[in-house]
Amino acid sequence: MEHTSAFSLPNSGHNRDAEASKMGMWLFLFTELLLFGGLFIVYMVYRSLNPESFLLASFELDVAMGTFNTVVLLVSSMTIAMSITAIQTGNAKKSIFLLYTTLGLAIVFLIVKYFEWSAKIHHGLFPGFEVYDNLPPGESLFFFLYFFMTGLHALHIIIGGIIISVVIYRTKKGLVNKEKYTLTENAGLYWHLVDLIWIYLFPLFYLIH
Amino acid sequence: MSHTKDNLPKEEQVHITSYKDHFSTLIALLLLTVITVVISVFGANLRSLSVFTALLIATVKVIVVAYYFMHLKYDKKIYTWLVLIVAILFVSFAVLTSIEYLNR
Repeated sequence: MEHTSAFSLPNSGHNRDAEASKMGMWLFLFTELLLFGGLFIVYMVYRSLNPESFLLASFELDVAMGTFNTVVLLVSSMTIAMSITAIQTGNAKKSIFLLYTTLGLAIVFLIVKYFEWSAKIHHGLFPGFEVYDNLPPGESLFFFLYFFMTGLHALHIIIGGIIISVVIYRTKKGLVNKEKYTLTENAGLYWHLVDLIWIYLFPLFYLIH
Repeated sequence: MSHTKDNLPKEEQVHITSYKDHFSTLIALLLLTVITVVISVFGANLRSLSVFTALLIATVKVIVVAYYFMHLKYDKKIYTWLVLIVAILFVSFAVLTSIEYLNR
């Protein structure tokens, strides 16, 4: 700024608006919901066209691994919600610890996902492999949707992990504190959305016995 | 000019959820997960019923997450309304798509 004004407005420097930030986050979450919503409708239509193939193909998925990952995500949702409680009560250290726990659980989720995916790819069930190409059309559709939807979800887990890392960094620097914790809250909202999507993905892909 | 959270007007006050409440929410979610898995693994011969129940329980879980973890219970009602509008939009599109498909 070249020139500074001779007087300052009563609230100069107050450019934070926690409520507007939260509203912005929610609006973003709605676009995410509709993105996945569209994919769920694709799933619904293809499944009603190929009920038997979808059922057969779903037996290839490991219910134990899926259940384990569901539990991991639910626990991580609790730890990030608790990290908000911690920062609100001024306990930055505890908040950081809980955020690290959430990050750790996100990594556990991705490791399990890696083993699941590599087992499927090893069996040639990935688009482009011979086994996949020779599957009945309904079953290849199931695997296509499985890889696309869980893949997009895993991408959200990775992005969520990056956001959580930013929150940890800023909390450590004191930029997120007892008075200013909107970032933690919004990271929490995003993380819960990732959890919400998994809550539907899990029964639709693993449990349609 | 410093005012504490306590003497702000009611709608400005921040609700802090206790650790215990968060833990109870988790227990509820884990119980619902166990129920879904048990129904789907052991109720395999009730196929159509198990899909319906699985989706119903998933919806209950989503509501619990949104209401408690995502703080809708304590936030301004506008957020709940917006969530409902988006949910209605999605459900009506899904239902209309299936009606369209069934009438083929």
